[in-house]
Amino acid sequence: MITVNHLSKKYINPDGSVLTVLKDINCTIEKGEVISIIGPSGTGKSTLLRALNLLDPPTGGEILFQGENILAKGYPVHKLRQKMGMVFQSFNLFDHMTVLENVMFSPVKILGKSKEEAREAAMTLLRKVGVADKADVYPSSLSGGQKQRVAIARCLAMNPEVILFDEPTSALDPTMVGEVLSVMRQLAKEGMTMLIVTHEMKFARDVSTRVFFMYDGYIHEDGTPEQIFCHPKHSATKAFSQRIRMEVFEVDQDDFDFLGMDTRINQFCIKYNIADKKDKTQQLCQALMPVFLETGHPLTIRLTYSELSGETSLDFMMEGAQASPLQDNAAGFEKAKSLCEKVVEEPTARGYRVRLLL
Amino acid sequence: MNRILHILLLGACLALASCARQESRTLTFSSEDDLAGLRVATVAGCCYDLSLSKRNDIELLLYSFDADVLQALLNGKADVMVHDETILNSELRAEHGIKIAFKGKERFPTALVFRKDEAAIIDTLNAIQERMIQDGRMDSLKHYWLDEVYLQKKDYTHIPEEASGEPLRVACVTNMAPLSFMVGTEWYGIEVDLARELARALHRKIEFKLYDSASGMMSLKTGMADVMLGGIFITPERQEEYLFANPYHAYGSAYYVIDHDGQAAKGSFWKSLKKSLESNLLKEDRWKYITNGLWETIKITLLSILLGGILGVGLCAMTRSRRKWLRVTAWFYNWLMAGIPMLVLLLILFYVVFAKSGLDPTLVAVIAFSLNFASGASDVYGTSLDAIPRGQTEGGLALGFTRLKTFCYIVLPQALKRGIPLFQSQCVSLLKGTSIVGYIAILDLTRAGDMIRSRTFDAFVPLLMVTVIYFVLAWLLGMLVKLATPKTRVL
Repeated sequence: MITVNHLSKKYINPDGSVLTVLKDINCTIEKGEVISIIGPSGTGKSTLLRALNLLDPPTGGEILFQGENILAKGYPVHKLRQKMGMVFQSFNLFDHMTVLENVMFSPVKILGKSKEEAREAAMTLLRKVGVADKADVYPSSLSGGQKQRVAIARCLAMNPEVILFDEPTSALDPTMVGEVLSVMRQLAKEGMTMLIVTHEMKFARDVSTRVFFMYDGYIHEDGTPEQIFCHPKHSATKAFSQRIRMEVFEVDQDDFDFLGMDTRINQFCIKYNIADKKDKTQQLCQALMPVFLETGHPLTIRLTYSELSGETSLDFMMEGAQASPLQDNAAGFEKAKSLCEKVVEEPTARGYRVRLLL
Repeated sequence: MNRILHILLLGACLALASCARQESRTLTFSSEDDLAGLRVATVAGCCYDLSLSKRNDIELLLYSFDADVLQALLNGKADVMVHDETILNSELRAEHGIKIAFKGKERFPTALVFRKDEAAIIDTLNAIQERMIQDGRMDSLKHYWLDEVYLQKKDYTHIPEEASGEPLRVACVTNMAPLSFMVGTEWYGIEVDLARELARALHRKIEFKLYDSASGMMSLKTGMADVMLGGIFITPERQEEYLFANPYHAYGSAYYVIDHDGQAAKGSFWKSLKKSLESNLLKEDRWKYITNGLWETIKITLLSILLGGILGVGLCAMTRSRRKWLRVTAWFYNWLMAGIPMLVLLLILFYVVFAKSGLDPTLVAVIAFSLNFASGASDVYGTSLDAIPRGQTEGGLALGFTRLKTFCYIVLPQALKRGIPLFQSQCVSLLKGTSIVGYIAILDLTRAGDMIRSRTFDAFVPLLMVTVIYFVLAWLLGMLVKLATPKTRVL
């Protein structure tokens, strides 16, 4: 239904610098698929969605919708949008119309339906999303959850082939997230083609047929929910799905700020509420860093904490090294063992890694 | 409680004011020497203040309106007022309860004024005046106008006019009976008759235009008028800039004081109000000034709103354009309009830009106010459009409306709703702003009030009437704007 090839989007800042939000997006979306787009903030999820219906036209690549290149000159964009609905984070209901008018407005004005017909259809949709009792009030008197359900009904009134959901629950009070998600769940069950940018991981996992993990302007990983959430191929995907926070120190220069490192470890531990791990981490760094630095390999230290599993680990990565220096340093090894739960030593593509689980 | 306090304060003020009036001393005068130590009121820049301002033994009070000078005398702010001996005629003196204490010694030769390159016309006028003096017609003319004969005969004489020929354009200074004054739309007075004689000798039609003295001089200089009249004294200063015909008369000044023995208009408040309304509105059909002025004000206001409102749309589009030079141009225009005082813009357009075009002053006023209003209107449009969140547009676009339809159905109705109160206040301030068009010889509502004031020497009633009318107009205009607004319902 939708094919995206080498899509890119660049912004030119007022100061002349170029910001590339989408780098090289390739994907195919089939009819009936429910695709969740997840990933950290600022990685282009919303931009991708808004590029698809040309609210933010892309700057490179191509998009085929039902076989037609929608980026071709003279392509009737408004016709495309009639078939590709969108639900916004901020609802964007028309403030000068009642709920009912919001829903029946576009069928009357665009599809040329009679007012009676459109009213009937609109009432059916409002009943379906559970806000029929509010048909004659203005959007300003609705709660966030009700507004979003009206917005979905308004979108459905156009009988779209696909609906793009741009963080539909992000602006909602936590108590109202459920009512919107259940409407969406119902739609998915009925076979509507949906693309959903969301931070609701459980919902994405339960409802989607496919998940796109976006990172740094790319679709980093594309797979079933099972694959993305349980067996991610890429570390970034894992870091995201396990909600892993990290602090990285590259100790490859002579003028590395050792005192600053202590402060950063301290701040990291306070921020993620693992103050009990602070002393251990600092002691381990002090004891082991000279040992690793002696080998002469560039050293990268990474302190990570998974908010999902609560696992904290301290990684020492020696670029290009083949063996662990701890094997030759019994005192250091004992010290490490005494302070942490587990020591894992393994060679990797980049070099040799010693992982200490705290 | 507060209200009671206010009423008490007001009462106290009124009581004080009436005491002040009763206290004014009864004075006897015979010459200018008796003025020492007194407060003397006069009109600024009227020649009488020239000799008075050299004296440092008196307190000179200068006002810009004849009526205000009289009011100062009546209120006891001044002990004596100086004015022309002919203009404050016996009827007016009796009405306001004042009398002539003595007449000034100085005489001021007065003549019709011309541009410097009009020497030929002046020769004709001088010849006419010479002939009139010789055959005695000048004496009878002076007798009729200056000895108050015209006050008894209510059908003012009227020298026949030529029906055709290139018009002789006469700039007349506001009502100065018996030198030049207007009743209804017709001009009368001794100088007006002289101008008519001149036009007849030249076989030219005559055309009168109303000015105040400053703008009359200006219009003469810029060639918008051929002759100026209205009691212009010959001074060396003026002679440098203009040509004067031979003086037909030398006017003197008179010193007026309150007439405590006379039959001054006393009586109940309602009686005096009734009398005041009578002299300000009914006498000589003076209400016609008000209705004509009202129509002029309405015309200028509505046309400027219409034209300026449309120009504002273009200007607003320019400020929001993608092209930088359009934005810069619009910004510059707004900056210019914000910086130029409205009066200056009006005068520049009238005396410089359209000076030679002979465009109707009302049209020039409409252009000036439209240019200014466009800037304000564009601001209102911009503010209202900016108040509509971007999401409303996106919501419309995402449903499949075109950009134009999204604007018309979704943004515009909401922007209109927000913009109307702002637009209303812009319109009302435009309405009030039009009160300056008198400067370019338009008889608008404000100027109509001034005209009546200068005839009746009544300081308050005409002003009050005009104020009330402006209030009602502003209210009606607000209603009109609301009614004229397209319905915001789109379904």
